[in-house]
Amino acid sequence: MTPLVTARDVSLVYPNGYQALYDVSFDVHPGEFLVVIGLSGSGKSTLMRTVNRLLEPTSGTITVDGVDVTHVAGEPLRQHRRNIGMIFQQFNLIKRHSVINNVLYGALGSMSTWQALSGNYSSDQRETAMRCLEIVGIADRAHHRADALSGGQQQRVAIARALMQQPKLLLADEPVASLDPATSHSVMRYLEVLNKEYGTTVVCNLHFLSLVRQYASRVIALKGGRKVFEGMPTDITEDWFKAIYGEDAVEVEIE
Amino acid sequence: MTRTLHVAFASAIDVLLGSYLGTVVWCVVVPAVVLGPAAPPIMMNVWASVLGGVVGLCFSLVGASIGRSALEQRWPSGWQRNAVVHASWLLLVVTIAAGWIITRIDPLQLFSQQGLEGASRIFTALFTPETAIIGQAIGAMVETIYLAFMATVFAVPFSFLLSFFSARNLMRDTAIRRSVYVVVRFITNFSRSIEPLIWAIVFSVWVGIGPFAGMLALVVHTIASLTKQYAEQIEDVDHGPMEAIEATGARRVQVIWFSVVPQCVIPFLSFTIYRWDINVRMATVIGLVGGGGIGNMLIQYQGLAQWNEVGMIVIIIATVVWLMDVISARVREALK
Repeated sequence: MTPLVTARDVSLVYPNGYQALYDVSFDVHPGEFLVVIGLSGSGKSTLMRTVNRLLEPTSGTITVDGVDVTHVAGEPLRQHRRNIGMIFQQFNLIKRHSVINNVLYGALGSMSTWQALSGNYSSDQRETAMRCLEIVGIADRAHHRADALSGGQQQRVAIARALMQQPKLLLADEPVASLDPATSHSVMRYLEVLNKEYGTTVVCNLHFLSLVRQYASRVIALKGGRKVFEGMPTDITEDWFKAIYGEDAVEVEIE
Repeated sequence: MTRTLHVAFASAIDVLLGSYLGTVVWCVVVPAVVLGPAAPPIMMNVWASVLGGVVGLCFSLVGASIGRSALEQRWPSGWQRNAVVHASWLLLVVTIAAGWIITRIDPLQLFSQQGLEGASRIFTALFTPETAIIGQAIGAMVETIYLAFMATVFAVPFSFLLSFFSARNLMRDTAIRRSVYVVVRFITNFSRSIEPLIWAIVFSVWVGIGPFAGMLALVVHTIASLTKQYAEQIEDVDHGPMEAIEATGARRVQVIWFSVVPQCVIPFLSFTIYRWDINVRMATVIGLVGGGGIGNMLIQYQGLAQWNEVGMIVIIIATVVWLMDVISARVREALK
């Protein structure tokens, strides 16, 4: 099976000279739930942003669906981003706007500037947006302001916004790091539903190994911007754990 | 390279400070102390400046550098520390002394027989306002309020557009954006540095004395001020939502409209109301130089030395300014 994403020797140096990634190579296969683990500052978020090209790699190549997107710009870049949904640790909703509008913003990439600025969404788009909210179970909140919702609900709105793009690939950058354990599982379960039932490929950054074991179909680990592990969740032994997180690390369970 | 530049810059500061100190001591302080009230008007003396500059350079070379202490935000060690501390105090004391002399501060004048008589004359008149002109004065005040309002209304769309081009966080990623940023910033900073009073003089010649000239003067100043305030607000936005909208493949204008603007509308509204409030005050002053409204009326009665009428006008201005201040503060509080 040809990979959906192929990253080869990706390095990234920020304008301030800090090198966040060193020659990272990995594949993402269609339909898998790939989890990226590593300490804060290990390059997980940076790596994710090179895939949907919010960041441009300094060297190496990124191919998505057979297209080299490493240095695309302008219209092709927007086209590329449109195919990839993304959710964030801080949800990043437009707080003052309604839930349904936040979901509709997922369609901005496929609208002309004037259509978008005048808020002229087609009835098709509105129906799709409602369906996306139904998938994440908060259609009844469609007309509330986004910031009136709890953290877990906001993250589900963010998932709906990503779904609105009908993405081939969903990137989740520490989607549960600002949520409590119970809510974390509820959000992770929605990602699992998208992955298993709708066949969306997921790449997810996570902190907690218990979540990794439960949801990941494959794992890669970063340390200091380098890939140090690639394998099945069950392959992460005590030794690997110490190699990834350092000698003094103690695993914390999240139930 | 940067090290050399740094040292050169520090020395330049020392030379300038030394030259300043030399000039002020020789041309201001010394004549006043030696000659007293008979001192002639202040004249620059190039040699005092040069000598001061040389002394400053000497201090710099031996390591007692104020410039370097300021740039690095730490004191030198050893005896140089004392030298820098003393030189800094000397600068402060000499500056205050020179200020006292230059502004011809004279507390005796404030309480002299003649002075007190003048004060009692004007205060009596101000507190017995001429009520006959109240209708006319309120009319002029209304003109001022509307003038300030129209100036704000005309300025808002310009400021709104310009602010996005002068927000650093939106304009740093390409060379073209950076240059646009620099140009817009320069123009707004420059026009803000020209007081509305001066714009009013320009426009009163251009379109004739009256409220229209005053309004134009305020428009120019308001565009510059609001652009800066709006831009600072834009620089403060949370970048998360921007990134999220960008990730959907949205165009630049869409990203800004859907992620930056929603975070800014309420603060923008608040700044705008406050600017109207400020403009009412400024419009009063602008009226003094031909900008129409209540200020214009005030300057006419002042010219005629009709202090009771002036008193009436002052009371109306004070009341309206105070009311606007209270109301705009309440509205802005409610907007939070």
